[in-house]
Amino acid sequence: MISRRDFLKDASWALATAGMVHPSLSWGADQSAAPAVTGKQGMILRSFRFLDLEMPTEFMNTWITPVPHFFVRNHMFEPSTLDAGEWRLRVSGEVEKPLSLSLTDLRKIESHSVINTLECAGNGRGFQSPHVPGIQWQRGAVGNARFRGPRLGDLLRRAGVKPAGKYVMFHGLDEVPGKVPPFIRSIPVEKAMDSDSLIATSMNGAPLTRHHGFPARALVPGWIGAASCKWLSEIKVLDQEFEGNFMKPGYRMPDKPIEPGGSANPDATHPITGLSVKSVIAGPKDGTTLKHAAVEIHGAAWAGEADVTKVEISTDSGVTWTRAQLGTEHAHYAWRLWSYWWKPSERADYLIMSRASDSQGRMQPTTAVWNPSGYLYNAIDQVKVHVQA
Amino acid sequence: MSRLSLVAVILMGRVASLWGLAAQAPDLPAGDMQAKARKACLECHESRIILQQRLTKATWGKEVDKMIKWGALVDAKDGNALIDYLSTNFPADKAPEPAARVPGPKKK
Repeated sequence: MISRRDFLKDASWALATAGMVHPSLSWGADQSAAPAVTGKQGMILRSFRFLDLEMPTEFMNTWITPVPHFFVRNHMFEPSTLDAGEWRLRVSGEVEKPLSLSLTDLRKIESHSVINTLECAGNGRGFQSPHVPGIQWQRGAVGNARFRGPRLGDLLRRAGVKPAGKYVMFHGLDEVPGKVPPFIRSIPVEKAMDSDSLIATSMNGAPLTRHHGFPARALVPGWIGAASCKWLSEIKVLDQEFEGNFMKPGYRMPDKPIEPGGSANPDATHPITGLSVKSVIAGPKDGTTLKHAAVEIHGAAWAGEADVTKVEISTDSGVTWTRAQLGTEHAHYAWRLWSYWWKPSERADYLIMSRASDSQGRMQPTTAVWNPSGYLYNAIDQVKVHVQA
Repeated sequence: MSRLSLVAVILMGRVASLWGLAAQAPDLPAGDMQAKARKACLECHESRIILQQRLTKATWGKEVDKMIKWGALVDAKDGNALIDYLSTNFPADKAPEPAARVPGPKKK
């Protein structure tokens, strides 16, 4: 007998596979065995179940990342059934007047737009040494998009946060496998009341897609992606920080550096909030052979809640550094594209490096701070190239 | 939806998922623990998440403990053998697993 849950899973599979084409029919010679994913193109498949897609750096060439190339990070199943007409967003907890809002209700509230670089806390985990468990992201669990929706603060003001309310908890409709704890996280009420924190219902001018949290997600700008809970169904104001798995031990950094390869005492850790300063080289790609001619070194740089102030490039393994040109498009919380034209002096092997600095006085380090989950990797990026005749 | 079409959707889902997963995800490596590793890991994940890990035996031990706590089906007597299997096939010093790409966009 098929349980309701099994049926829903299968039904969702049937729907999902409606957009899925057999590999032998759809794959080009340059693409190894991977299924199609609705609404996504050319992404690096880190995991299909649960869905984790990384943007190849070749797509890091537009200030706004198109949705088909925007990374996806799921801890568990996406909602198998979600009826936008039935969906409600509840606001409860330490509030004077609990709310239950439909999508229509949300659309009646004044909306705002924020261009935000969203980065998974684990982006770059694959470069950590010693290796750490988790999705082995390299450079592309990051993207920059225009999010739009009501301000989270406006919803909270409607509900009336009581003086005891110190944290705002988000609960999404992700479907939990086995005994995995639900994906619930919280942020301080001050960040929730920030005029740029949103309940986003659109991304790049279109309604959120299923993979990005339709019909509504939190958008906590400048913070790690995990703060911006998808498929949002409940906002609860708490008198203390939420203590579930994805707040502790998950998504925390050791208070003090620990021996690489060692373990952290959860009581000597703190939750990760804002993103680090970081630049990534999108081109040329690592291992490329180049002609002996001028080449554009380019990429993106971001700094969470801070502003990128400069990106420097070294083409001599870090001996000398020269400023790259920052792109003209910029916004608070958004990455800056950058570029640098380089004419190799001779035919040889080169190590090209990029490092960003920000308005908080931070600079990308030579070596990222090692931690047992590989969070916030932001070492100076580097690619090796060979210049030939 | 008629009962017939409901059944068709269920069958389509089951066939598609079995065919799809078999065609798409590589299998776990052969070995005495292959079947038990499939049962323990692939109930929730597909194999790619396992294949991309490069961990010491101690870290594999912690991961297996965490997954058992979260519902992975591992008999107590099999725990050490499963950790051995994972750490032998996916050790810290093994070369990285190449990742596949989902189709598109078409090249110009």
